[in-house]
Amino acid sequence: MRLALHAEWTKIRTVAGPLWLLLGTVAATVAFGAVATSVVTDPGDPTKVALVGADVGQAPVAVLAVLLIGGEYGSGTVRTTLTAVPRRAVVLTAKAVTLSGLVAVAGTAAVLGSLVAGRFNLPDPASLADGPTLRASAGTVLYLVLIALLGLGVATAVRDSATGIGIVLALLYIVPIVSQTIGDPHWQHLLQHIAPMTAGLAVQSTTDPPMNPWAGLAVTAGWAAAALLTGGLLLHARDA
Amino acid sequence: MSPLQTANAPGIVVAGLRKRYRAAPALDGMSFTVRPGVVTGFLGPNGAGKSTTMRVILGLDAVEEGSALINGRPYRRLRRPLTHVGALLDASALHPGRSGRGHLLWLAHSQGLDARRVDQVIEQVGLATAARRKAGGYSLGMRQRLGIAAALLGDPPIVMLDEPFNGMDPDGIIWLRGFLRSLATQGRAVLVSSHLMSEMQDTADHLVVAGHGRAIADAAMADLIAAASRDRVVLRTTAGADATSVLIRAGATVAATGRDTVTVSGLPANRIVALLNAGAVPFSEVSAHRATLEDVYLELTREAVEFHAATPGAPR
Repeated sequence: MRLALHAEWTKIRTVAGPLWLLLGTVAATVAFGAVATSVVTDPGDPTKVALVGADVGQAPVAVLAVLLIGGEYGSGTVRTTLTAVPRRAVVLTAKAVTLSGLVAVAGTAAVLGSLVAGRFNLPDPASLADGPTLRASAGTVLYLVLIALLGLGVATAVRDSATGIGIVLALLYIVPIVSQTIGDPHWQHLLQHIAPMTAGLAVQSTTDPPMNPWAGLAVTAGWAAAALLTGGLLLHARDA
Repeated sequence: MSPLQTANAPGIVVAGLRKRYRAAPALDGMSFTVRPGVVTGFLGPNGAGKSTTMRVILGLDAVEEGSALINGRPYRRLRRPLTHVGALLDASALHPGRSGRGHLLWLAHSQGLDARRVDQVIEQVGLATAARRKAGGYSLGMRQRLGIAAALLGDPPIVMLDEPFNGMDPDGIIWLRGFLRSLATQGRAVLVSSHLMSEMQDTADHLVVAGHGRAIADAAMADLIAAASRDRVVLRTTAGADATSVLIRAGATVAATGRDTVTVSGLPANRIVALLNAGAVPFSEVSAHRATLEDVYLELTREAVEFHAATPGAPR
């Protein structure tokens, strides 16, 4: 496992893509948060407004996660990987651990940057010393890690980057978009409670969360676990 | 070989592999061995099961029946597998944005090896000047060298290369031929697939010919060449028709193989000379026919029925 982790880390640092995508996550999250905090007129929930950039910043995270294995299927290097590390569960675990670590670092930078931007723009900014703000911040980092794991699982299952990115972005964004067109509040409510993005980001609310914040994050974790399990079983069963 | 010997045999032992892709059988009882100290050539038409067999050996593809063992163990059980077997399957399988050295570095780290070993194999395959450039810009010949470097990384006793001559320039081909021979001389088991017959004939000591998912030949190169050359004599004459009738009357099989040449089988060369002299048939040369690997291959890969029915020297 130690060797597989070392190999995955070397893979990531010997190409340029991952670094740019992680920087993209930080930049997008902070930039959109800064815009939101500067234009908002009545920040009822200053923490949530400051962290709203994660809605956008999660996209490069998802792309990075999908490319981490989808890129190997695209180039054919996945066979080299499985020849070097024949135990497939070890390969997927090593990728998941490496990815989680990187996204946690980038996510922390993105969240801290967003809070700093909010501090400049909002009249009554949030502070990490407040319990709810700390929970919202840590929860957002966790949320980004879970989205990465969701992307890794989906891409492992479909073995193609374009398909993987399409599926993950659809899973994330289609419910927030569609639920606005649904009139029935019961269905709207239900959809938002089971979709990975709307449920998971409930953790950002400090004043009036739409659902229990940790339960919401658990929904996202369920999606990620299901995707990883499906991907892992298929990786184990199929010819490479 | 008894089962006990098989279990502990060094090298690769492939036994009775069967696998279907959808309905069609891809492997249908593939069996052969790759022994240390010998270059084993792996020949066969497209779809005969060569690449599938190599993927099965490496634990990438599963089979319905049979086993492929590396020094007596299945690949998936090997710890630090690249120190047991080095393989090149597809030289093009590279991340285009990663340097050749970066590619070797992550492979090295996966086996607990360090950058020093990476630089050694880069030097060994003659890729030092290109190693830090992005692999996306490599020619096929450079990719082959990088793939061979990857196969050597763990200094393995078994090396397995799928079509390594593809895309190599003449210098590369000469280098690789000598290189494969030297790996065998060092006592390694070497399995090389190629469709370039002349390269194989000059490189391999032992030959496995695949057809329809089976090994239709598994023998020493010298024996196969001798068997295909057996009792055939090439006769150069301007009176082909006369020569043919004289020799057929004496019980030989005769086939026209060129404008002025016929190939005779069933009679030794001295009898042929005597018969032609007695019949006053002019000829300029009588020589023993030496088959090429191409002859061997073409005979073996014909349909099995046709192969058994084929008469030596029949026109191709």
